[in-house]
This record gives sequence, structure tokens and C-alpha cells, in this order.
Amino acid sequence: MRNDDLALEDLSAIADAIAAGRITSVEATEACLARIETWQPRTNAFIRVLKEKALAQARAMDAELKAGKRRGPLHGVPMAHKDMYYRKGELSTGGSSIRKDWIAPVTATALQKLDAAGVVELGFLNMAEFAAGPTGHNVHFGHCKNPWDEKRVTGGSSSGSGASVAARMTYGALGSDTGGSIRMPAAACGVVGMKATYGRVSRAGAVARSWSLDHVGPLTRTVRDNARVLAAIAGHDPADSTTSEKPVPDYEALLEGGVAGLRIGLALPSDGPGGLDAGIGGAIQTAADVLGKLGAKISPVTLPDFTALYRAAEVMVKCEAAAMHRPWMEKTPELYANQVRTRMEAGFFIPATQYIDALRLRAHFVAEFLATAMDGVDAVLLPAIPFPIPTIEETDTENKGGPAVLKMVAGFTGLTRPFNTLGIPALSVPCGFDRNGVPIGMQLVGRPFDEAMLYRIGHAYQGATDHHTRVPA
Amino acid sequence: MDDKTRTAAGIAANLQGIKYDDKRLAELAAEVELLNGAVREAAAQRLTFDDDPANFASLMAREARK
Repeated sequence: MRNDDLALEDLSAIADAIAAGRITSVEATEACLARIETWQPRTNAFIRVLKEKALAQARAMDAELKAGKRRGPLHGVPMAHKDMYYRKGELSTGGSSIRKDWIAPVTATALQKLDAAGVVELGFLNMAEFAAGPTGHNVHFGHCKNPWDEKRVTGGSSSGSGASVAARMTYGALGSDTGGSIRMPAAACGVVGMKATYGRVSRAGAVARSWSLDHVGPLTRTVRDNARVLAAIAGHDPADSTTSEKPVPDYEALLEGGVAGLRIGLALPSDGPGGLDAGIGGAIQTAADVLGKLGAKISPVTLPDFTALYRAAEVMVKCEAAAMHRPWMEKTPELYANQVRTRMEAGFFIPATQYIDALRLRAHFVAEFLATAMDGVDAVLLPAIPFPIPTIEETDTENKGGPAVLKMVAGFTGLTRPFNTLGIPALSVPCGFDRNGVPIGMQLVGRPFDEAMLYRIGHAYQGATDHHTRVPA
Repeated sequence: MDDKTRTAAGIAANLQGIKYDDKRLAELAAEVELLNGAVREAAAQRLTFDDDPANFASLMAREARK
């Protein structure tokens, strides 16, 4: 295989090839580095590429394998991560100017787990400043560009994660999701993104946006790859008291169950900011038809009115963000992008009683959703982003602003944020291309801790379609 | 400056020690009114004395697929 061919392989195939001795970790790493050289100028997906360190790690992984030690199913696989996962003694910017020189005092649990699994670290990826922004704009490190159309946004806040995986610069990446920040870039860039159940993956050592709503998770090219990475990073962590002690299933072993007999609710919501674009709705309907042909029972479901839930989420995010950012907002407010700072300021004015009530409402919202939209179904299928991906210029709130721009930007999270408040798992899987040739993502939502079901459905869908195999030119 | 903006100005100056101009205070007052109103209404419809924020985590564990 040529280097470029190696970069085009998916994560599981590369991991298995390394394990079998058909290729080395160094060859896989060099393939990604070559790809980064070509695609970084086009996408600005990386904040830092750690070339020498990655090659040294890859050599060490090859040596271990040669000595008969295989750490696990990710041994020797190159990945890169959103620049918000701390590594002790190393720079970690959070996509911000405020932390442009900040050195992390600890290593994130998710990175520790990937280290233990033998993952090679290619570098750290672009992101919205402090994970606050749904589009991929970043005034400090430059906007991230969609590899399918460089004029268009990647989605955010895990912008570099989506772009780097889609452009085959890396086999997988960690993102984080407070209102859709894994699923939106996954959808806009044509890759797979999992926001698992709240408490499934440790948040320790990751930049917080909102402690109550933050979720750590992987972006990959295939559902199988995603299942493999989630299995490596999931599980209880004493450093994050919100993590669950539930055992982590072998997601990959559960992939092949098929969808025959499964009940999938189809939600094509027409309300909300901007409504649902006909082309996006058509792609989701076609995906439902594919799953129906594979034996799933598709039935229409109506989503509850998310207005109160959405505003309760806003209360949580604004109050928590204002509390954690207060010292910088008081002393150096000018170091934030306007759109990042202004989104937090209301948190200083919301009474604590309202914040606490928002937290108390959460269980009610979950119970209501499970009793309505999820009643009698194994998963709900809906769009990730309800409209075609706009351009960077069209969504530039920093320089352009105005009600139309703000409405479009707000519309990004209309179908993703509710599942952060609900804490239930949600998977974005590519299911087509919009009228501009940019990917469309479908979202599968499941019961608490039922990531395996979503992976099973997504895997069956990818077995019958080829959207995930398309590569941006 | 209307009453709500004046209230926001008082919170900013007297309780939080942060300065905003009148235009921004008016925007923030409107934003907070919307969010507070939505949460108050949802709370009035759903919450009782015994609702504990920790019910969320226990419900998630209880509702997990067996």
C-alpha cells in the first residue's frame, strides 16, 4: 500500500493491519502526516501538529508489538484531539487567546485511557473558543474550513475534529458536546460522532463549557471505529464523580445484530428556528426507508415541545460558564471573542433559584421524553442539522451579526441540544449530501446507556450505504 | 432606563461588581426575563417540594436498558 492509501483506510482496518504485522504504526503515522501536509492549509483543522513526538510514539508502539505486547484494539493507531484535553506539562489552549500559553497540570482521563490503549497522538485540533460556538469560527486561531467546501463551516465546537477525520488526516478524534458539538461537525463533515449517555465517559481533565451538559466522545469515519474508540474511553472514573459504574459493553461485538424487528421512530420536526429544509428531510426519510428495507419497523413519532427544555439548558450553560469564566471576564474581557463573552453574561443575572430549578427539571424532561417520543421504540431517527451547511461568511456573528445571522447560528443546535439536557445517547451518521455537495447527518437517539443499540443501527445502515466511504477531493 | 434594566443595573453594580453600559443591560434584562420566565413556568407545572437535582442521575440509571 502507498502512504496515501493507508491514510484512506478506516481506523479499525489500520488497527487490525498493525496488529497483524501487515503495516507498522510508523507507516500509518507517516501516512497521516503526509495527509496533514496537504490538507492543513485547506482546512486549518490543527492548532498543533506534533510530528516528531507522534513518530517517536509510533516507533515505541512498533517496538512493543515486535516484543509481543499489544496493548489493545487501538495499538499504534494515530489520532488527534480537540485542543481542550489536558496533557500534563504541555500546552492546552482551549481554542482561546486567554490560554494560548497555558500549560496543563494534569492529563485528561480520556487521554490516559487512549495512551493505555496504545494510541499515537498526532496533535491537537482547532475548536470554537472554550467550546462555545456551533459553527467552527475561531478569531484566535483562524476559522476551521469544511473539507467538502472550504467556504462553508465545519460545525462546532469540535470543528477540527470533524474536518481532520473527514479529510483523512487522522483516523479518529476526540470531541466534546455540550449542545451538539460532536454531532454537528460530524454531520457537516460527513463522519460519525457519538455523544454517549451523560456519565458514560469521564470529563476529568477536559475544558468545561457546562459541567451539567458536557459530554466527551469520539468522531470517526465509521460506526465500527466509533464503537472501538468509545469502548476504550468509557467507564467509571474516580476523578469525575458524575461517571457511572455501569460496566462498559463490548460495543464492537454487538454491532452485527442487524435491525430486523427493531422499532425506530422517525421524527421530521417542521417547527423550530428555520424549520426543516426539504432536502434534509428527504435524506432522513430515505435513510429511514433503507433501515425499513433492512427489516426495521419505522413509525412516525412526534418530538415533545423542547422550548422549556432548551431554555433550561441555556440557564445551566450561562450560569455555569459565567461562574467558571468570571475571573477572566472581570479582568480581561477583551481577550474573548465578542460572541463567546456575550453568550455567558446573562449567567451573572439569573437567580440561583432558577438555575437550581433548571437542574431539578431535568429528570422530568427525561421522563417525559421516554414516555412520549421513545415510547415503544428502540431509537428515534431525526436530522442532526435541519438545514444545508451555510458559509463561513453567512454565519460570522463576530463581524456581521444581525437577526438573520443570529437566527441561523441558533438554529444549528435546535435538534441536538435537547439530548444534552436529557443526557441520553445520540449518534450522528452521514446519510447524504445537501444541494451544495456538503454532507448531511442523521441522528439516532436512544435510551440511557443504550449506545450499543445506536451503533447496531448505524452499522447496519453503513453496511447498506456508501456515504461514509466518500472522501473530499 | 425601564424597571427591568434598572434591576439588571443594580445586580451588575451592587451584587456582581461588573460594569455594563445601558444598552447591554437592556439586552441582558430581556434575555434573562425570557429564560427565567420559561424556567419558572416549567417549574410551576412540574416541580414539587421533593424534586432533587440528583433525581436526574438516578433516573438515568433506572431507565437504562437491562
